[in-house]
Amino acid sequence: MKQVLLIAAGEWRYWLRSQLALGGALIFLVLIVATSLLNNLRMEAEKQTRTRQQTEAEETFLSQPDRHPHRMVHYGHYLFRAPAPLALLDPGIDAVTGQAIFLEGHRQNTVMFAESAASADFGGLSWLSPALIYQLFAPLVIILLGHGSVVRERETAMLAPLLAMGISGRTLIAGKALALLSFAVCLLLPLVAGGAMALAGGETLIALLSLFGAYCVYLALWVALTLLASTTFKKHSTVLAVTTALWFGFSLVLPAVAVDLASNSEPVAGKIETDLAMLADSRKVGDGHNANDPALQQLRADLLEKHSVERIEDLPVNFRGIVAMEAEQKLTKVLNDYAASRMAAERRQEKRLIDYGWLTPVLAVAFLSRSIAGTDLAHYHRFQRAAEAVRFAFVQGLNRVHVEKLSYQDDINRNKNEAAWQRARVDASNWQVLDTFQFRTAGISQRIQHASSSIRILLAWLTVMFGILFWCGGKIKP
Amino acid sequence: MADSDVWNIVLVWRQDKTMSAFNALIREAKFTARDRTVGFWMAVVLGLSSMSVGFGLIEVERQNTTIQNLIHADQQDRSGGFEKFEDWGSAAYYSFHLTYDPPSDFAYAAMGQRDAQPWKHRIRMLALEGQIYERDAGNPSMAQIGRFDFAFFAAFIIPLVLIMLLYDLRTSELGAGRHDLLEAATGQPFCFWLLRACLRAGGLFLCLIAPLIIAGIIAGTTASKLALASLWIFAYTALWTLLCFSISAWRKPGAVILMTLITIWISAAVILPAAGRLAIDKLVPVPSGADILMLQRETVNDAWDLPRQATMDAFFSRHPEWSDYEPVKSAFEWPWYYAFQHVGDQQAEHLSTAYRDGRLQRARIAALLSLLAPPSLLERSLQSLANTDLHSSIRYEAGVRTYHAALRAYYYPKFFRNAPFDKSLLKNLPKFEPGQ
Repeated sequence: MKQVLLIAAGEWRYWLRSQLALGGALIFLVLIVATSLLNNLRMEAEKQTRTRQQTEAEETFLSQPDRHPHRMVHYGHYLFRAPAPLALLDPGIDAVTGQAIFLEGHRQNTVMFAESAASADFGGLSWLSPALIYQLFAPLVIILLGHGSVVRERETAMLAPLLAMGISGRTLIAGKALALLSFAVCLLLPLVAGGAMALAGGETLIALLSLFGAYCVYLALWVALTLLASTTFKKHSTVLAVTTALWFGFSLVLPAVAVDLASNSEPVAGKIETDLAMLADSRKVGDGHNANDPALQQLRADLLEKHSVERIEDLPVNFRGIVAMEAEQKLTKVLNDYAASRMAAERRQEKRLIDYGWLTPVLAVAFLSRSIAGTDLAHYHRFQRAAEAVRFAFVQGLNRVHVEKLSYQDDINRNKNEAAWQRARVDASNWQVLDTFQFRTAGISQRIQHASSSIRILLAWLTVMFGILFWCGGKIKP
Repeated sequence: MADSDVWNIVLVWRQDKTMSAFNALIREAKFTARDRTVGFWMAVVLGLSSMSVGFGLIEVERQNTTIQNLIHADQQDRSGGFEKFEDWGSAAYYSFHLTYDPPSDFAYAAMGQRDAQPWKHRIRMLALEGQIYERDAGNPSMAQIGRFDFAFFAAFIIPLVLIMLLYDLRTSELGAGRHDLLEAATGQPFCFWLLRACLRAGGLFLCLIAPLIIAGIIAGTTASKLALASLWIFAYTALWTLLCFSISAWRKPGAVILMTLITIWISAAVILPAAGRLAIDKLVPVPSGADILMLQRETVNDAWDLPRQATMDAFFSRHPEWSDYEPVKSAFEWPWYYAFQHVGDQQAEHLSTAYRDGRLQRARIAALLSLLAPPSLLERSLQSLANTDLHSSIRYEAGVRTYHAALRAYYYPKFFRNAPFDKSLLKNLPKFEPGQ
């Protein structure tokens, strides 16, 4: 153990004397600190804007004058997706997903206005975030520092004396690995600082620790990979060439190739295509605006029988409201079925993409990181489902007001004249059926559970890499 | 390179000092071809390049199929509905119309904005601002990473491959102890190294461009587009070759040269674009999309409570040709309904124009800034050749607006002249032509 520590300390001393190592680490530090600050400012501004817009939308809805309740169903409401606290470290898919959704009766709209659609276009790599820096550039710094660790001893003919002194190959590797791992932890300190801010923003400590752990495992994996190359190849330059090639193969080429493979093997139909089928299905439900729609005749008969009356006018409730409520209920079921199948298709496609993490750990850590941060596809779907719950609740709330607070006579006569038009209204206090909305991420255990396959992939990578390294360490020859 | 090769070079250059440069080129080419590392990278580039255009061709094919299916389904959906209509108003209300932007003949090389911006809509006669921002976008998980298209490969990966090929041009020979011998033997060391660098880069360029040209022939791309794309890629490859060549001349360890080159790559490919985006987005504000929608919705909804004449006056101010319209005395009239839909668009017009102009302004500054960031410059240039840049996307948006205007021009005479409903006339509805 003492030998391991000594070797690790020696490695640190070597780095501190090396301009290359110091320069690389310094550039990385500047980059990560600058990105963290800028990203923090950006996400904080986004959060404030979207929270303000949400409050405004709610106030506007509640301040609407007395109206026919169905007018409010069509007046609708807006929801805004506030970013998760950890988005300041990993914004995930925030930029490419819509931020606002318009809720109204009889329709499920798409989430509109993705930031990437309006932003100056510089390609995918320009959405720099602390997470992206750790995923792409931290491995490069580890390669820079670690590539020479064993091959350097070999090239300067120090390996033979070291081994002759009774230091086993595995001890040597362990010492070098310890040095590199401790360096990797240093690289992650800015992440901890950023996480502290997320903590203040309402994130749990466990989430922060999980994120830290995820990146520790990821960087450890690169430590093992670098050491493996440094042990295997006889020449300094070969080690560097191989690790650098692996770096951009893993982090730039394979993830993009995986996107194309996944989109070919698991295609998702566009919304317009599925909407065409959905329109056909939803027409069968019946039109909630039309109390005479044949699809709703059974409802009429049941209701008359239940209240033992002959005519719609004699019902104690507003039949038009009942129709609207019933049609919304049935239509929502159709809409939800289609929405659920679209989300399932997207999840299947994403699952396929996650499975390509077996080819490159960069994909695995990217998915794990954004799952923990609550900025992944699952949370985007979660927002859509939450939005649908709000939509259905306020629409049916208004329909209930229509049933109970507006008389059928006033309702059907509303177009007779101006006075009748005025009479067919309900009090604005009824608009309180709208709940306030704030989007929250899922609990951390659920988030981690969701990322289980990425965790498995990443741990498998780690085990295999260190396994091979351990095996190679035993076979080191001068 | 085997030592015997080196002796060959030495001998050849010795003997051939008087020989033509052409012979020297041939000999050096042979040595380059025998270098296994170089061969490996050529194979990688050829493979990845073929893969990227292959994926591109498949995607273009899929988008074209989708469009064909949608055109068919759209017609079926509409003609099926015609039977039920009893007046012009409900015909306009229930008829959706497909608009789309087919991929160009070069889109296989650069999908660009087609993954982020909508390229198909189904619109109807209602207020357009509420419909045009609908995003029929794909899976955000995929869009976040982005496709492996040719533009991405050429602009971002190729420089890295060039760096790998060229950074140890001299240091590898130094390490092998042959550097001084080679320089002494050739007499013109600068030419010798440059020739070697150019041969490697030239081979890489050919491996990169060949699949692009073949895919272009399959896709029927116009020759001028292919030529222009090749020219840009050539200039881009040359730029990185020169850069690698000059930095590899440093008398520094290979690791220092490699890391310097990679730092340059990171600055040009990542940091400058990222900083540029932040600065431009800050510098050129665009109205929040949600504000456009809200204003339009408010206007449309308020119209129900306003005196009808107020709406009609606002409408006639833009469409004086219908101002002699005689309203029918009825509880509900379609002409008024469509008038307030359009007034909603009119009210939001200034925001919507500012949104479009802001995006264009951002794109213009980004284009200027990308002169400093060659990877972005090449990617953008290829996207503009492929009609997949922001300008094309905004052109498509303008096409949708024109089509919506044509629909209104079709229905307005029916509404405002109180024309009797005639189903057979619905066959004359304007048809959307892509690229209007």
